[in-house]
Amino acid sequence: MDVLRQLLIIAIFPGGIFMLLIGLVYAWINGKLIARLQNRVGPRWFQPFADMLKLITKEEIVPEGTNKLLFELLPIVALAGPMTAALYVPMAGLRPSSSFQGDLIVTIYLLSLMTLCTGFAGANTRDRFSTIGATRALTQLFSYEAPFLLALLGPAIVAGTWQISEIITTNQGLWLVVTQPISFVIAIIGLMGKLEMHPFDAPEAKTEIVAGALTEYSGRGLALFKVGHYVELVIGLTLVAALFLGGLANPLMFLLKTLGLLLGISFLEALMTRLRIDQTVGLWWRYGSVLALLQLVILVIWSTLVS
Amino acid sequence: MSKKSNIFQDAISSFVQGPVTENYPAEKRPIADRFRGELSWSPEGCSGCNLCAKECPAGAIEVITLDRKAKRFVVRFRVDRCAFCGQCQTSCRKGCIDLANDRWELASYDRSDFEKLYGHPDDIAEYLASLNQSEATDD
Amino acid sequence: MAEISSDNGRKFTIPIGPQHPALKEPGHFEFVVDGEVIQEASVKLGYAHRGIEKIVEDRNYTQAMYILERVCGICSHVHASALAMGAEQLAGVEAPPRARAIRTLVYELERIHSHLLWLGVAAHEAGFEALFMYSWRDRETIMDILEEISGSRVHYSVNAIGGVRIDISAESAQNILKAVDFLEERSKHYLNVVSSDRVFLQRSRGIGVMSPEEGNRWGVVGPVARASGIKRDVRVDAPYAAYDIFPVTMITASEGDLEARFTVRVRELLESTRLVREVVKNLPEGELTTKVKRKIPPAETVVRIEAPRGELMYYMKSNGTDQPERIHGRTPTIPNMASVLHLTIGHQLADAPMILAGIDPCFSCNDRAVVLKSQSHSDLWSWDQLRQYGIDRYHGRT
Repeated sequence: MDVLRQLLIIAIFPGGIFMLLIGLVYAWINGKLIARLQNRVGPRWFQPFADMLKLITKEEIVPEGTNKLLFELLPIVALAGPMTAALYVPMAGLRPSSSFQGDLIVTIYLLSLMTLCTGFAGANTRDRFSTIGATRALTQLFSYEAPFLLALLGPAIVAGTWQISEIITTNQGLWLVVTQPISFVIAIIGLMGKLEMHPFDAPEAKTEIVAGALTEYSGRGLALFKVGHYVELVIGLTLVAALFLGGLANPLMFLLKTLGLLLGISFLEALMTRLRIDQTVGLWWRYGSVLALLQLVILVIWSTLVS
Repeated sequence: MSKKSNIFQDAISSFVQGPVTENYPAEKRPIADRFRGELSWSPEGCSGCNLCAKECPAGAIEVITLDRKAKRFVVRFRVDRCAFCGQCQTSCRKGCIDLANDRWELASYDRSDFEKLYGHPDDIAEYLASLNQSEATDD
Repeated sequence: MAEISSDNGRKFTIPIGPQHPALKEPGHFEFVVDGEVIQEASVKLGYAHRGIEKIVEDRNYTQAMYILERVCGICSHVHASALAMGAEQLAGVEAPPRARAIRTLVYELERIHSHLLWLGVAAHEAGFEALFMYSWRDRETIMDILEEISGSRVHYSVNAIGGVRIDISAESAQNILKAVDFLEERSKHYLNVVSSDRVFLQRSRGIGVMSPEEGNRWGVVGPVARASGIKRDVRVDAPYAAYDIFPVTMITASEGDLEARFTVRVRELLESTRLVREVVKNLPEGELTTKVKRKIPPAETVVRIEAPRGELMYYMKSNGTDQPERIHGRTPTIPNMASVLHLTIGHQLADAPMILAGIDPCFSCNDRAVVLKSQSHSDLWSWDQLRQYGIDRYHGRT
């Protein structure tokens, strides 16, 4: 029975099919919100599903001069990373299906796999747009990763544990967004950087380098990368909502809190001008890291004083 | 507008007011009176001056004279060549040509839909018959 | 990556176009970049060459007017009216005052349409999608007005040789005033946005700075020149149509960067709305056309018009028949294109599409010119030599 349960967790809920479906639904909501903010109609509810179906049925062209194994493997790893991370977060307001001391760190690094794979995928092909896109993607990775990690450390330090479920139970009282506003903002913007969402989409800026690192991907590979992005969006939202917005007690709270965050993200995405890659890096290292460190120092001093 | 107006106000008002995009094939807006759509030609009054064909920049109009004295003309109009400039309408002194504002969705799967003959039904029949005859003699 | 890296292994060439999401029209740019910084830039044009100058030699003046109208899909009226005005000059007649005023009205409506379109495209190149969507939404207002008064949204066909074909009714005049009021308010709003949105200013302020001396050396025209403080506007320097009755205030800025190009164009929107209002309220009464003979006596003339993108020049020669002997146009994109190649150097790759969009390039307009490489040592070719070259080239093609 235990084996069957494990299989169900991986294949149906919260990994596997559930994540794919909710990822596509959240992608649709995101697209719809942006469209409405720009006075457009936006996609219909089945649009992300139709896109994925189209991409999966398309022929995948492996360009010359690439390592074929890597070309096919990288999209799978890119999707597998966030899928695995789904096991450690309180998905849909339920208890995480797997939990151990230090799973917060593991989750953060599983979420980084996506960008790493994008970077490698771009460097693997000989396309000039891909190469530049890969360089930019990895540059961006190095800029937001440290502040993002520092921002998520805040709740962990207050709770005195590295386990996501324990952090949530310890911080039941006041929402951490009130006591750690800087960390919250940095976590949200870091998530947008991670997902290469609009103001931070220099790695795939279409008016400069076509589709960035993924220019040469056409069929199944592109579909996997895209679904990976959507899944990562949901997991990132869940993680931030769980850590900063007082946990996710039930599915209704999960929906309310994550969709609220998504609305905020869509607002930023709809109304911002794309930042150049040097501006993105400058923003993170000049302000993001310093502010995150400041918040952390205050927290450490505070918790030492209290205890 | 005050100096402080920014793009966020637009976003909020757009979000509240809903999309401005029209649901085109389902809903259609009233079209302007002067809109230049597909050409139509009425044989009444035509003097066969051929000015419409001469001034057409696209060569879309051909005036076929059956009988100049009896004022029997057939006009062959090629929709796929027409540039909808409306010069023929301006050139025609007798007001035979009209670019209707109600026929402007002209896409078709069949090329033969793009060639239209205008004139009295009898004249068209006579013209088509003469065409068939000449084809028969060619063979 | 052996074939794309040069000797030091860091520089490589980024091709943009003729098929690229940044350019909706065919043009080929090659940027040699070192990391992200552009070292060299080159351009290749001519993908949309249609031989339009040759076509009009086989048409009469009326037909030629409609063919030239199709040189450009955005500023169609300036091309058609250039031919009409040229033909009138060759025939020695002048269009009646009401016709000239209506032409002026359509020039300014078209300028509003073109600048709003440009605002959207340039914002899109910067990744400012919201401004793109809003400005194109508001542009629908002006397109509806143009459709109402002319009968078409793109190729208005309001000109005739010797005047205009359309009249402005009292009802249309009311609608125009209403639309212009709305657009004036929106233009003020956009002026606030492009000069105060801090994220957007990071991408436009101090980017692609062109000094007036450089601008004069490269011969830039239109809003690009005016944004660098060069006072150059045909509407002011050599008034045509009804610009002598309805004078224009020249809009200039001194900064010469992308932000100045944005503010100059948006302030020109405001100026155009003022002008449209004035023309509609003071439309002279009278005839719409004067009679022009079909056969135009032999003569030569030059027409200069301030198109939305800058100075447009047509050279026309008649030969006594109802067909022109030669028509040559110089559209504003060609002189401005040279500035792009110079300005992008030293900037980041991310700025290149914005600098390019900053001149409001129109590729189908400029692709009438063919650069011939001289085989003889003289740069001057006689007509026969040129003709022979063309024939040889035609027969020798593969």
